[in-house]
Amino acid sequence: MRLRVISPWAYLNWLVFPVLFAAVGLYVLSTPGAASSHVVYGVLGGGLIGYWSVAYLDGGNGIQDERWNGTLEQIFATPTPLWVILLGKICGGLLFGLLAFLPTAAFAYFGFHAVLPALDAGRFVISLGVLTLSFFCIALTLTPLFALWRWAFSMLNGFELGVYVLSGFMFPVAVLAPWAQGVAGALSPTWAVRALYASTLADGPHDFGAWWFAAIGLSIAYLTGAYFLYALVERRARMSGQLAMV
Amino acid sequence: MATKPAIEARQLRKTYTTTRGVFRRERVERAALRGVDLKIAPGELFGLLGPNGAGKTTMVKIFTTLLLPTSGSALVLGLDAVKEQWALRKRIGFVFGGERGLYWRLSGLDNLRYFADLYRIPPAVSRRRIPELLERLDLLGRERDRVELYSRGMKQRLHLARGLLNDPDVLFLDEPTIGLDPVGARELRVIVRELADAGKTVFLTTHYMFEADAICDRIAVIRDGAIVAEGTPSSIKTLVQDQGIVEFEVVGMPVERLAGLRGLPGVTSVAISEHELAQVVTVHCARPAEVMTQLGVILDGIRLEKVSSREPTLEDAYVQLIGDSR
Repeated sequence: MRLRVISPWAYLNWLVFPVLFAAVGLYVLSTPGAASSHVVYGVLGGGLIGYWSVAYLDGGNGIQDERWNGTLEQIFATPTPLWVILLGKICGGLLFGLLAFLPTAAFAYFGFHAVLPALDAGRFVISLGVLTLSFFCIALTLTPLFALWRWAFSMLNGFELGVYVLSGFMFPVAVLAPWAQGVAGALSPTWAVRALYASTLADGPHDFGAWWFAAIGLSIAYLTGAYFLYALVERRARMSGQLAMV
Repeated sequence: MATKPAIEARQLRKTYTTTRGVFRRERVERAALRGVDLKIAPGELFGLLGPNGAGKTTMVKIFTTLLLPTSGSALVLGLDAVKEQWALRKRIGFVFGGERGLYWRLSGLDNLRYFADLYRIPPAVSRRRIPELLERLDLLGRERDRVELYSRGMKQRLHLARGLLNDPDVLFLDEPTIGLDPVGARELRVIVRELADAGKTVFLTTHYMFEADAICDRIAVIRDGAIVAEGTPSSIKTLVQDQGIVEFEVVGMPVERLAGLRGLPGVTSVAISEHELAQVVTVHCARPAEVMTQLGVILDGIRLEKVSSREPTLEDAYVQLIGDSR
């Protein structure tokens, strides 16, 4: 956490980029006559992108930083399993990532007078909790890949952007092509984000139970995969000796 | 060795597999260790010497559970480094040479606190042990400074403090004095010797002969992944006891003249090193006096600066053992 607080790059992810996304979203979506449901995507979208970026990127970047520092081997050889170390890092990232909602909400309110029209606070908090769980599970599952394969790091940004689009952070998933909607359905954030947006809107059929269940179920499935992945990473890393920088 | 060894390798082998080529990928295998057998007693300061790429770091990484051997076994404190890594990691410490391996943007104290957590040291113990280590390693007073402000010697002492956080029974030091100035290196050697005197088993890799000669109880020389000599520094020196060393300094000697030296009776090796203005030639031979009388003939027309004959050192023994493997 201390490394994150003193890193100027972290502020880009939770403060600058979310506001930029929110500004673009609100500008596009808050045109006169636009439906309030659209404006909601502008209000929350920037925060969601910031939250996801910090939660996900900090895990991958964190591993890459450890490799560059030469500390990846050092932490790997301690009596604490890698998943526990990463769990701590990811939890720190999630806490930090939640901050992304503050500048975007403030920007939306003061800059565009945009509000959440029909906020159901209880469901909103539960949906945000489910979203946090799904981010946590994805980050915990994917991060060890960066420890094992240096080339995986080059795919970091691609996956980050893919989830923005596929999970409907700034527009409904319904606008995507059918095949893309199928892929989106396999991503736990899609369901949590859907519930989150629904908790701010009065109109439309809402099935919170099913959405939460889908997000939690997929998250558990990721964790099951992560259990085997960590065992693989531990063994492969020790076979190849690729934790060192060179 | 009557007592159970603190560190033991049995037929330890490690082969790295990699690929080369872009379109036609080809598997390439490189043997780093070729059936190493080794036993190190508890409390011993053991030095592993060898040129770059000989297998020193590979062996340390296997013993510290960072690397799996291809075959053979590696035991530390009776624990299998392959299968019992979690139990073993609590009882060993390791320090790799160089400046990396620390969080430069954090203070030395934060580095130690973080690793104390990773080593699961109870807070009450770490609150006592960290100041002790800072004092012992002469870092007290600078512990709240960021590591990036530390000198190289301080960073290396911080590495050592990190390696000692869990009060390990066995400490692995991989070229710990590399890049340090002479004073810093000497200070570190004193600390390492004190650790061994205090009962810790120390496994040190280095390619500084005088370092091994000065502090190690026993040494082994590794070449191309195989141990080629093992014993006390003085016993290793006896490998070249029947030899003498003739050293001379010349200016502008053509390399072809070395052939004449190599052809002299009793000469086992000739090495030449370039200095600023001169070349220093070291001749290992059975009869130094005879070589010295022949120098005038072989070096006819070349300016000879200094000629000396001396007893072989550990470095001479090492050079003979390593031969032309580099």
